[in-house]
Amino acid sequence: MSKLGQVVEAVEKHGRFVVDQVKRARSDEKFGRELAERWNKIKTETPITRAPTGLPLPRLALPEIDEPGEIARYLFGDGLPGEFPFLNGAYREMYLESLQNIDQGGHGNKRSTSTNGAKLQKNGARPQEEPTRLFSGLMLAEDTNRRFHFLSAHQRSKRLSTAFDGLTLYGIDSDADGVFGKIGEGGVAIDTVEDMVRLYDGFDLGSPEFSASMTISGPAPIIMAMYIAAAKRRFGSGVVPKLRGTIQADIFKEVQAQNETIFPIEASLRFLCDMIEWTATNMPRWYPVSISGYHIGEAGSTPVQQAAYTLSNGFAYVELLTARGIPVDQFGPRLSFFLDCGLDVEYIALARVSRKIWAIGMRDVFSAGPRAQMFKLHTQTSGRSLIAAEFKNNLTRTAAELMLAYMNGTNSCHSNSADEPFTTPSEEWIRLAAHGQAILLEESGIFKHTMNMLSGSPGMKAVERAVEKAILDEFRQIESLGGVLAAVENRYQRSQIQSAAHRYEEQIYDGTRPIVGLTRYRDGSDEMPEIELARTPRSKQRLQIERLTKFKKKNADKAKRALDNLAQAVDRGENSFPALLEAAEVCSLGQITGRLQEIVGRFRPMV
Amino acid sequence: MALPIRILTAVPICDGHDSAINTINLEFIRHGIEVVYLGFHRYAGDIVRAAIQEDVAAIGISSYNGGHVEFFAEVVRQLKRRGASDIAVFGGGGGTITHDDASLMKGKGVDEIFFAGTSLTDMVDYVKKHYGKRRKTRAKLKPDLVLARKLTQLEDAAGKRSPRAKHQTSNIKHRTSKVIGITGPGGAGKTTLIDELVLRFLTRDRHSRIAILSHDPSVIGEGALLGDRATMINSQDDRVFMRSMATRGQAGGLSPATEGCLNLLAHSGFDYVIIETVGTGQEALPFRRQLVDQTILVMNPDYGARLQLQKIVMLDVADIVVVNKTDLERAKSALLEIEQRLIQNKRKQQIVATVAKRHRDAGVDELYDLILGTR
Repeated sequence: MSKLGQVVEAVEKHGRFVVDQVKRARSDEKFGRELAERWNKIKTETPITRAPTGLPLPRLALPEIDEPGEIARYLFGDGLPGEFPFLNGAYREMYLESLQNIDQGGHGNKRSTSTNGAKLQKNGARPQEEPTRLFSGLMLAEDTNRRFHFLSAHQRSKRLSTAFDGLTLYGIDSDADGVFGKIGEGGVAIDTVEDMVRLYDGFDLGSPEFSASMTISGPAPIIMAMYIAAAKRRFGSGVVPKLRGTIQADIFKEVQAQNETIFPIEASLRFLCDMIEWTATNMPRWYPVSISGYHIGEAGSTPVQQAAYTLSNGFAYVELLTARGIPVDQFGPRLSFFLDCGLDVEYIALARVSRKIWAIGMRDVFSAGPRAQMFKLHTQTSGRSLIAAEFKNNLTRTAAELMLAYMNGTNSCHSNSADEPFTTPSEEWIRLAAHGQAILLEESGIFKHTMNMLSGSPGMKAVERAVEKAILDEFRQIESLGGVLAAVENRYQRSQIQSAAHRYEEQIYDGTRPIVGLTRYRDGSDEMPEIELARTPRSKQRLQIERLTKFKKKNADKAKRALDNLAQAVDRGENSFPALLEAAEVCSLGQITGRLQEIVGRFRPMV
Repeated sequence: MALPIRILTAVPICDGHDSAINTINLEFIRHGIEVVYLGFHRYAGDIVRAAIQEDVAAIGISSYNGGHVEFFAEVVRQLKRRGASDIAVFGGGGGTITHDDASLMKGKGVDEIFFAGTSLTDMVDYVKKHYGKRRKTRAKLKPDLVLARKLTQLEDAAGKRSPRAKHQTSNIKHRTSKVIGITGPGGAGKTTLIDELVLRFLTRDRHSRIAILSHDPSVIGEGALLGDRATMINSQDDRVFMRSMATRGQAGGLSPATEGCLNLLAHSGFDYVIIETVGTGQEALPFRRQLVDQTILVMNPDYGARLQLQKIVMLDVADIVVVNKTDLERAKSALLEIEQRLIQNKRKQQIVATVAKRHRDAGVDELYDLILGTR
């Protein structure tokens, strides 16, 4: 049985364990009493907070139960926020406003003096950052840089997320034949370390309040090396251990859904594991892979497929890395996840269940400690759910999705702009999207006063049970095909996603899935709304090529040596990342990709 | 019955958004259209070359990653340059292509752009209405296009069972190319293996030209998805002429026009003509006597119990048996069992173990040498 099969057994075993604890709490008087005492202690120690109206509320909402069996079911089956199996949240406090104006404890009236959310919160919670991530990428590095400064101007913490243009995603240089119109389209054009310097100019990369997220997978190790090289150029090599951020680097989902793979699967996985091994030792604050369901969902999967493939991909990475002898507690806490959140009913509990399954699998199959059991989640609202027709409705769609994402306790979130069906979002709509999150978290009282405010309704529990069962069924299917890698090579996930996508389209046109403004309540005007298009002017595209040509000329000799060294490291089978770091200083992305492809081959697309 | 419309669909370079086109392809096929699918992340040059070789009526491009104005225009420009401006270009890109873009693109020679919200039925109707008519072969055509149009005539004639088709099939002697027949069950990796062989043909002999005749099944009463090109990376080359054929109702792994097309290709100056059947069953004997010079059976180690081997007829006639995917657990015993089965035949058949998905696989090298050696 593969590890995935063991995860299925572990989750089922945990379910039986919970039932046993419930029975024991009811039959074993001492155990039952202990649980009831613990429960009462939790409740009495929960601070009381006050809404602006003066209404007192507990800072943590718990079900109104006093029977030991039900208490056991809650504590072992769901767990308090920040406690195994993390159904309610990976952390204790999440979106709560800081402790000022809060009464300590049920009967205390001691006032907290903590005011700034950026400081460590009391009771050991992590430093507070806005959960908002600002996603951007357009034209050349300096254009994206300007956008980053605009977006983060009023943010305490600078959490930037970078989209790359198609050329960069496929590891191709801007001066390649037949790609001119693609430069800077759909994301920022990055060819060299010099572009990377320009991209984050003016941001303090080593600051604890800065984090960079890079949405790229196929050539991720090369881009990671360029980021490190750029940081070293600006701040010296002492900055490396301080670097914070995430690089997507998820090869499995590329092959399953997003199609941005450039090396054969095995070679891609090797370069990825080389990078993770290096960063786990040298960059303890970096998340070197973001295990992503988002693109699986966007490619048309059902929510259950999305969660099942994402989790199983995650377990497959853990298996690969532990097989290299890297301790699970060294890299496990540096794995993070990225899920889509759309309007389907499954999203009421999809991330909650995912968190639980991950925790159980990591603890019981891979013997991971608590930090590696936590499913750290970034969510993005669904791009696919956005519709071009009567596009302003997209604001409402995104708002509903945001609500679902926060109900699921996501650690960070990106809200899509209403104009996304047309183009890279324009500033006006990005602002509205970001403000949507602020309205939900800061303006409204829904999430800021009380943890668990909307957790655990009977409906949510019903969805949890149904979704958990369906995810385990998917795991069994993958297991029967020989595990994740074998299933991927047999294009199992791809064909499942494609079938689901086709069904979705049919459902739109047969009326099963009503789309407001398209198949219902259409106002009849088929005009495209006026939008501000972010297209890259030809002059900029030419400038990018000029810069690259200069860079290549300047570094010609050094590049040749660096590429030879890299080739040797790859051929010898050693960790290729140190040689990649050297190459990133003097070679362009395309030069490195090209050389690596000579050795390991190119990715063969799957249909 | 009307002859099937052939179109080619693809996603541009640096774009992996294939969800829409996959759905659209299925809809086209359901309505009797034969779709040569080139896949995602494809250069304009690769699209144009394939469209000419496949002699399609139109190219449908699904673009979601921007740069569409330039990309579509480039496709039209290259078609014109290669003398194939009668191949039409249409496409779509959800909301990413604006109405202004579309007018610009139409001004540059694009037929039609479908916007978000267009129903699948509308797209099918459009293709049927505009691309159903066969074009006349003009006198001044570039060589690839001449060959491609002749293949279309053969295919159409075979469909009508006209005398011309018969005439063409008789000429097996005096071929100038070596013809290699590749067959085997679906999922054995035939296409990948061919693409890896092509890489070796191209790199080891700087002048060789290769033709590939590839087959995919027609769906009963419907069109066909001709998708082999989508997984090929080395065969997108001007020295490779590839033609995808739908079986159009014929059982056994080939099309009614295969022989005629094969003979034409084998007289057209290629060094090698590779013919790939559809995935075949145990009883299949797809190649008539002397149709090919060398027969290669590609097998997957997971064929089931040993007894199954006795039922595979091709094992008696293949010159070379390739056991692909030998990285699978079952490979060792499979190789042993197949070898014993071949010894019974006493025909000096060769057996080769390959992992075609692996770059620079030694087994594929060995197969390449075997093919060359018997020339």
